[in-house]
Amino acid sequence: MFSTNKKLDKILTLYLPLTLMLSFTLFPIYWTINTALKPEGDILKRPLEYLPANPTVENFVYAWTNIGFATFFKNSLIVGICTVIVVLICSTLSGYALARYNFKGKKGFMLMLLCTQFIPRAMMIIPLFIIFKNFGLISHPLSLIITYTAVEIPFTTILMSGFISNVPKELEEAAMIDGCSKLQALRHVVFPLLMPGIVATGVFTFIYTWNEFLLALMLTNQQSKFTLPVGLSSMMGEFNVNYGALAAGSVIALIPAVILFAYAQKHLVNGIGGAVKG
Amino acid sequence: MFMKRGKYKSSILALSIVSGLLLAGCNGDDEAPSASNDSNNNSDEPVTITFWDENASPERTPLWEEIIKQFEDANPNIDVEYVGIPNKSAKSKYDAAIAANDTPDVGSVQTTWLPEFSIREALLPLDEYFEGSELKDKINASAIEFNKKITQDGKLYGIPYAQNLDTIWIRTDWFEEAGVKEPETFDEFFTAIEKMTDKENGRYGYTIRGGAGGSFQLQRLMFAYSGLDYFDEDGKVNINDPKHVEFVEKYLSYYEKFTPKSDITNGYKEMIAGFDTGVVAMVHHNVGSYGEHKKSLEEGTFKTIPLPKTEEGKYVAEGGNAVNIAVFNSTKHPDAAWKFAEFVNSPEAQSLWNESTGQIPTNTDVLDDEWVQNAQHIKVAFEVYENPETKLYEPPFYLPDYRSILDNLVDPGIQQVMSGQKSAKDFLDEWAKAIEESKEKYDQTFNK
Amino acid sequence: MSYSQGFPETAVNSKKVEHKKKIKKDKWVPYLFILPSFLIILGFLFYPIATVFYYSLQNYDVSAPYYNSFAGLDNFIKIFTQDEMFIPSLINSLKWVVSEVGLQLIFGMILALLLNQTFKFRGLARAVAFIPWAISGVLASVMWSMMFNEHMGVINDLLMKLGLIDEPMAFLASTSTAFGSVVIAELWRGIPFFAITLLASLQSIPNELYEAARVDGASRWKTFIYVTLPQLKNTIILTTLLRVVWEFNNVDLLFNLTGGGPAHSTTTLTMYIADLAVHGSNFGYGSALTVVSFGILLIFAILYLRLSRYEKE
Repeated sequence: MFSTNKKLDKILTLYLPLTLMLSFTLFPIYWTINTALKPEGDILKRPLEYLPANPTVENFVYAWTNIGFATFFKNSLIVGICTVIVVLICSTLSGYALARYNFKGKKGFMLMLLCTQFIPRAMMIIPLFIIFKNFGLISHPLSLIITYTAVEIPFTTILMSGFISNVPKELEEAAMIDGCSKLQALRHVVFPLLMPGIVATGVFTFIYTWNEFLLALMLTNQQSKFTLPVGLSSMMGEFNVNYGALAAGSVIALIPAVILFAYAQKHLVNGIGGAVKG
Repeated sequence: MFMKRGKYKSSILALSIVSGLLLAGCNGDDEAPSASNDSNNNSDEPVTITFWDENASPERTPLWEEIIKQFEDANPNIDVEYVGIPNKSAKSKYDAAIAANDTPDVGSVQTTWLPEFSIREALLPLDEYFEGSELKDKINASAIEFNKKITQDGKLYGIPYAQNLDTIWIRTDWFEEAGVKEPETFDEFFTAIEKMTDKENGRYGYTIRGGAGGSFQLQRLMFAYSGLDYFDEDGKVNINDPKHVEFVEKYLSYYEKFTPKSDITNGYKEMIAGFDTGVVAMVHHNVGSYGEHKKSLEEGTFKTIPLPKTEEGKYVAEGGNAVNIAVFNSTKHPDAAWKFAEFVNSPEAQSLWNESTGQIPTNTDVLDDEWVQNAQHIKVAFEVYENPETKLYEPPFYLPDYRSILDNLVDPGIQQVMSGQKSAKDFLDEWAKAIEESKEKYDQTFNK
Repeated sequence: MSYSQGFPETAVNSKKVEHKKKIKKDKWVPYLFILPSFLIILGFLFYPIATVFYYSLQNYDVSAPYYNSFAGLDNFIKIFTQDEMFIPSLINSLKWVVSEVGLQLIFGMILALLLNQTFKFRGLARAVAFIPWAISGVLASVMWSMMFNEHMGVINDLLMKLGLIDEPMAFLASTSTAFGSVVIAELWRGIPFFAITLLASLQSIPNELYEAARVDGASRWKTFIYVTLPQLKNTIILTTLLRVVWEFNNVDLLFNLTGGGPAHSTTTLTMYIADLAVHGSNFGYGSALTVVSFGILLIFAILYLRLSRYEKE
C-alpha cells in the first residue's frame, strides 16, 4: 500500500509533468530532424510524413559542403571559446566585488550594468562599426569577442554575484583565519563551491555567442570570417528557402550546444552537498 | 581548448576531401571547390577586390563562385573576394558600410538603392567606363536609361545584369480540369479566382501576400489595373485615384472568401508554399520563383502568365525591377572593379546567372541562347518587355522614405483593410498623403 | 557554523566594526575587481549608447543625409503628440513582457524542481530540457513558422487528427491567435533560461535546511515556500529583472514569425524601433524612441529593485 502510494506520488509529481514538459521541448526538435531527413520534394507534400518515407542524408551533406559550414563552425568556436574565457574572468571578479564588498559607487556600477541592456542592439550597429573600423578590427574575430564580452558582462556579473553571495561568507573567512591569503581562500574554498555557477555562466555566454546574428553579420566583411548564424541565414534566400538543408544546418549547429549541455549538466549538481531533494 | 590547431587543420582537410568526393559522386561534372587558387602571376601587380552579393542563398552563391572563378582565370592578376549577405539584412549592411566609409570595391545593388547610394556619394559614376566598353550596345538600353533617370545627377551608377518581372503563376492542370480560361484581363482574373476556389477540397483560387513585401505586389497590381503614371501632370500622386480604390476594394475583399485565411501575414515563403503544396491555383509573384515551383510541382502542371492587361489592353510593368552591379567610390582599384562589372555582364556570365536563377538577361547576345528560347517564363517576360505597347511606370525610388512608407505604412495598412479595420479609400488616402509629404520635402530640398 | 543564521549577505554592519582595519586595507580591492568589466563597457558600449542620446536630438536619416539637422526636442514632441503607434506598441510590449517572463518563470521553476529530483536518466533529461536555449532566434523562427503554417504545418495536422479543429487554422495570421502563438514559441526557447539558473541556485541551498524542515514535519509545499523560495529570492529577482529587460528588447521571433502583424497586433515598442531604424533608416526618430524606452526601463528597474527589497530580508 505504502509503496504504491509512493509510486503514484512519484508519477504525479515527477514523471507525468516531466514527460509533458520534455515532449513540448522535444517536439520541434524532432520535427526539425524529421524535415532534415526528407528529400526536398517530400517536405511540402501532404499528407505530412511523421517519419521520412525516403530518408536521406543529402541535406546534411549539402549543408556541410556547399555552404562552407566547416569554416563557419571553426569561426564560431574561436569566438565562442575566447569570449567565454574573457567573460568568466571579468564577471567572476566584478561579481565578487558586488557580492562581498560595500563600496562607494556600487549602486552606480550596478545601474550602469543594467543601463547597457536597455538599448536594442540594432541601434548600436553603426557606432560599433565605426569604433572597430578605427581599430582596424572589422572582420577580425577580436571585434566580436570584445563586443560580445561587453554585451554579456552586465548579465554575467549580476548572475555571478548572485551565485557568489550564495556561498557562505563564513567559509571564506574561516579559511583566511586558517592562514590562507585572500586569493588562496578564493581558489580553494569559494571556487569549488562556485563551479555550478561558473559552468552556468559559461554556458550562457557560449550559447549567446553561438547564436548571435546581427552583430556578427554587421561587423564581418569577409565570407571566410562569418560565424554559423550568419552562414545559416544565407541559406534563406529571397526566392528560395531550402527547408531541408536549413533544417539539416540547424541540426548541425545544435550538436556542439547539446554536447555542451550534456557536459555542463553534470557540473550543475556538483555544488554543495551534491543532489538536493526538493 | 577544444582542438589543437594542427589537428584541426588536418580534420578540415579530411573533411574537404570527403566532401569533394561526395560532391563529385553526386553530380559528376561539378568540380570540388578548391580552397585557394592564388595566382602566381608576376607580370601585373596582383590586386584583390571585394564583391558583395546582396542576396546570398545556397542556389545563388555557387553561381557567383563559378563566375568569379571564370573571371579570375581570365584575369590572373585580380583576386575577387566574395561576401554573401542574406537579402533581409543587405540594406542595413550597406548602410553601415557607407556610414563608416568601409564599402566593398564592387557590389550587387538593387535599382531602388541607386538614387540613395549615389546621393550619399558611395558609388562611382560608370558613364565613361560604359561608353568605352563593348557592353555599350549590348545592354538593354531602356534599363540603362532608367538607371540614369532615377539619380539626382543623371549619371549611370549601376549596370543591370538581371531583370525581373511580376507575373502570375497558375496550375495549368487545375485550369484544364475545371475548364477555366487562363486570365488575360482583370475581369477574367477575378472570375478565375472565384471559379478555381473549391473550399470543400481545400483549394483556393488565389493567395494574397498580406505580410512583408505585400505592398510592392499590391502597387504593381494597382498600376497594372489602372495603367496610370505614378504622378499625374501636376505632380499629384495617383495612388488614391478612384480606379485604384475600386481595384483594392475588390481585390482585398476576396480575402478569406476565395483565399486562405493565413494570407494576412503571408510573406514570400508562405505564399509560395501555398502554391507549391497544392492549396492555391494562382499566385502573383515574379519569374524568379520558377526554380522553387519546379522543385515541388511536376513539369507541365504549372506555368506563368503576364499580369492581366488594362481595359485598353496594355501590359503594365514597374520600371527598375532589376539588379545591378555597381562600383563603389572608395575602391582603390576602379579599373579592376570595372573589369569585374564588365565580366558579370558578359554574355557567358549573364547566361549562366539568369538561366539558373530564372531571371531575364539584359545582354542582347544572350537572347538567342537555347535556354532562353525554351523557357516559358522567360518568354512571357520578353513578351511583356519587348511589346512596344507595354507601359513602364516609375515609382519615386529617389524619395528617401519610399521604402519605409511601403514597409511601415502600406504593409500594415493592407492587413487592416483585409481584416476590415480600415476602408480601402482611407488606406489609399493615407498612403498617398505619405508619398506626397515625402515628395514635397524632397522637392523643397532640391528646389525642383 | 550555522547555515540557517540569516542569509549570506554582503553588508553585515556588526562585522564592519570588527574588521575596520581589514576593510581599510581592502579599500581598493573591489575597484580593482570591477576594473576590467568597467573598462570594457566604458570603451565599447558607452560610445554607442551616447550616440543614441545624441541622435535623439537630431534629424538623422542614414539614407537621406541632406535632411540631417538639429531637431531639439521635436522628435520627443512627435512621439507624445502625433505618433499613433507609440501607445499601442508600448501596450504590446507590456503584454509581451508580462506573459513571457511570468510563464517562463513559472515553468522554468517547475522544470528546475523536477530536474533537481533523483531519477534514472536524469542527466539525459537535463541535457534535453536545456536544448531549446541553444537554438538561435533565426532557427527557432524557421522551425515554428514551419510548424504553425496553415498548409504544411504539423500543428494543424495534429490538431485535426485529434479532432480538436475541423479545418486548418492560420495561427500567425489572425489577430486573436498571432500573439499567443509567438508567445508559445518564445516560451519554448525561454523556459530553459530560468530552469538552468534556478537549478544552479537550487544546488547552493544547504541540505541542512531541508533536513531541519523535514524534522519539523513540513509539507512539500511548505518546504518550498519557506525554505526553497527564500533561498532563491535574490536569484529570482535578478534573473527576472534581466529577463524583463531582455524580452522587452527581444524581437527575433516577432520579427520573423509575424513581422509585427497582422495589423500591428504584435508590434512591440522595440519592434517598432527596429522597423523604423533598421529598415526605414530613420535613426533620429528611432533614437528618440529608444531614449523613451530607456527611461521606461530605468524607472522600472529602480522601482523593481526597491519594491522587491533586493538583498534585504
